[in-house]
Amino acid sequence: MKELQNKAAELLENGTINLLIGFCEDGSKRAVPCFIETAAEANTLVFNQDCKNNLSVYLHKKEVKDAVKIGLVANVATLRSVLQLLSENQLWSLTLTYLTVNGAGELVVLSSAEELEGYVQANFPTCRPEDQEMLDKLNAMSREERWAFWKDQLSECVKCYACRAVCPMCYCTVCTTECNQPQWIKTSAETSGNFEYHTMRAMHLAGRCINCGECGRICPAGIPVHLLTAQMNQEIEQEFGGKTGWSLKGGYALNSFKPGDKENFIK
Amino acid sequence: MAETFEPKIVAFVCNWCTYAGADLAGTSRTKYATNVRIIRFPCTGRIDFMLLIKAFQNGADGIIVSGCHPNDCHYTSGNFHARRRWMVFKSLLDFMGFPTDRITFSWVSAAEGKKWADLVNETTESVRALGPFTDYKNLDFTQFNQIDHEGIAEQSR
Amino acid sequence: MELKLISTTDIAAFFDGLLKAGKVVVAPVLKQSGKVFFKPVQSFAEVATEYIQTTFSAKEVVFPKVEELFTYKHNEEGGLDFNDYLDRIPETVIWGLRPCDAAGFDYLNVFFLQEHPDAYFKARYDKTTLVTMSCSTCDESCFCTSVDSHPGDTKGSDVLLTAMDGKYYVEVMTEKGSSLINNNLELFTSTETLSKERFLAKPATRFSMEEIKDRIQNAYDSVEWKQASMGCYSCGACAFACPTCTCFDIQDEGTQDHGKRVRCWDACALSQFTKHASGHNPRKTQTERRRQRLMHKFKYSVENLGIVSCVGCGRCIRVCPSHLNIFENILSVTK
Repeated sequence: MKELQNKAAELLENGTINLLIGFCEDGSKRAVPCFIETAAEANTLVFNQDCKNNLSVYLHKKEVKDAVKIGLVANVATLRSVLQLLSENQLWSLTLTYLTVNGAGELVVLSSAEELEGYVQANFPTCRPEDQEMLDKLNAMSREERWAFWKDQLSECVKCYACRAVCPMCYCTVCTTECNQPQWIKTSAETSGNFEYHTMRAMHLAGRCINCGECGRICPAGIPVHLLTAQMNQEIEQEFGGKTGWSLKGGYALNSFKPGDKENFIK
Repeated sequence: MAETFEPKIVAFVCNWCTYAGADLAGTSRTKYATNVRIIRFPCTGRIDFMLLIKAFQNGADGIIVSGCHPNDCHYTSGNFHARRRWMVFKSLLDFMGFPTDRITFSWVSAAEGKKWADLVNETTESVRALGPFTDYKNLDFTQFNQIDHEGIAEQSR
Repeated sequence: MELKLISTTDIAAFFDGLLKAGKVVVAPVLKQSGKVFFKPVQSFAEVATEYIQTTFSAKEVVFPKVEELFTYKHNEEGGLDFNDYLDRIPETVIWGLRPCDAAGFDYLNVFFLQEHPDAYFKARYDKTTLVTMSCSTCDESCFCTSVDSHPGDTKGSDVLLTAMDGKYYVEVMTEKGSSLINNNLELFTSTETLSKERFLAKPATRFSMEEIKDRIQNAYDSVEWKQASMGCYSCGACAFACPTCTCFDIQDEGTQDHGKRVRCWDACALSQFTKHASGHNPRKTQTERRRQRLMHKFKYSVENLGIVSCVGCGRCIRVCPSHLNIFENILSVTK
């Protein structure tokens, strides 16, 4: 922790970064996102198992973008999402420095996109065991059982859009749900509208989501929405190859094709 | 005698192949089920999956999506993109428990008028056997006021 | 007000008696995700115990997240048939509210039943009886004592139950409460006033509304708003979980032939909330939106309606993905 705090202070002091996005403890000792602009504040930084938020989503925020030179305290999932965003050319106006802690508890500072790519590839996260277990369980169910499961889950959805808000890949300035000429997806939280919204979101993220799991973790209604995109990513990887958040070059499965793509359901 | 259920089938077809194939079925005076409502697109690559969802939202019981055979797309590669999109979308719907047997995907060329007619007939019969897609409308039963939405839903179909 | 007692063994019989009388009983239920929500239940056994607060409030019962205002359909004569459900709202009991939630209903009443009462809210509220449970535990997000309330407050309740050794102290506050108790009057015995103090939780008092009412007058221009809102993701979770947030949107869904008009929840934190048709957005950044939310709760509703619209339930803090803290923010902008 001290190492992290000292490094952060140093980077702010010497002007490498103007703003550091990291975690600090609130009054109730919860690890919450914080935004530090002076070296003096760096001693409030923490980084531990409780620091789960994917802070890369803040890189789309105007107040953050204005700082241009930004430091990001990140776990591997967050670094992977930055890599995906870089491959989608979303962070071109920013100069980023990354601070992370590796498996051995050592502070690692990454100062370039190439270093980031190298680190992410060397520490590439796998699907969390509890998520894999849920996916296996769902895939083993019959269609009707899955329908009943998602109906039960999605009837709780209140369309707060927290899942969209915390997702680094949902960066459209005007989301398609906000278009009302025509109204594609119902704004109200009827279960059918909730199905539509989550289906649409999963499709827009299929092949782009980096499985940080934040959407499911923070859902106030407790819906495991991250399973939808996790399933899609596994299918896409299996069918078309390629991993999300793996390289700077990127490669989005749904805007490319191979003439030899095989399926078994088109008559 | 009880009324037979007539399914509402919405067809999303590309202009250059399947729509022309449907025209051919017409000019050949081929009889086929009248349950289909055809929506014409320049290319299957233009078909957004949200449109399929919208069709179900508006009361469709079954959907047909059809375009040019691979390598025959009027715009060269539109159907290749569509194919990928449908593979992913079908597997998502399946994962969510949507009855993907209500959706038929096919390649029908401009010369395949008979194939089009057969496709519509088969889809109509298979969706008729599945019954109306009430599962979708019944999602919206309001838990707090226990109001008989099924009755209202039926009335307003 | 009537004061009664009922044993912890008889409370289940009373509860089940309400169900037998044909009422819809909405109570906290533990879901698989580990979260507790208000849901209609079929027996006392389904009611959750061992929790501090539900994730969402019970405002859904009188102000549903999606509400059909009416449905319409073309008839043979070429006109339109309208249908609404105002005459079909069932008798409902909300069981297991916390005093902060009941205080929230107090606010909802003031808000929806102003000069032109909201017919939909009124129809539901008139058929709803609130049975509140005093709090014996709390967590660091609770701050009811800072907003003119406390864990044994009767404000807004029809019946307030306080668990004491082996029994519940029953404060029947209203006519509705009385008629509910009468459903199984034999289970209750009368009592004189008892002290609830030692059975109630002791949430930390963060501030008093007396202090805040003055200091918030100058809070609009505070530079602290930026820091207070930086972590905000601009979702609607806080507004939707809040027992007193009442903003809504009205949408028409349907075709020329048939359809419906629905009312659904909306949130001032969402970025498009104040966007004008011209494209101009007077609250363009999250700083302005968060400021609006807090000023509304602690200043504007006090000035306009005479009632503070925050009840200190702490739900907004718990559901927020970055745990933005409403009382810490109020303290920092009114410093």
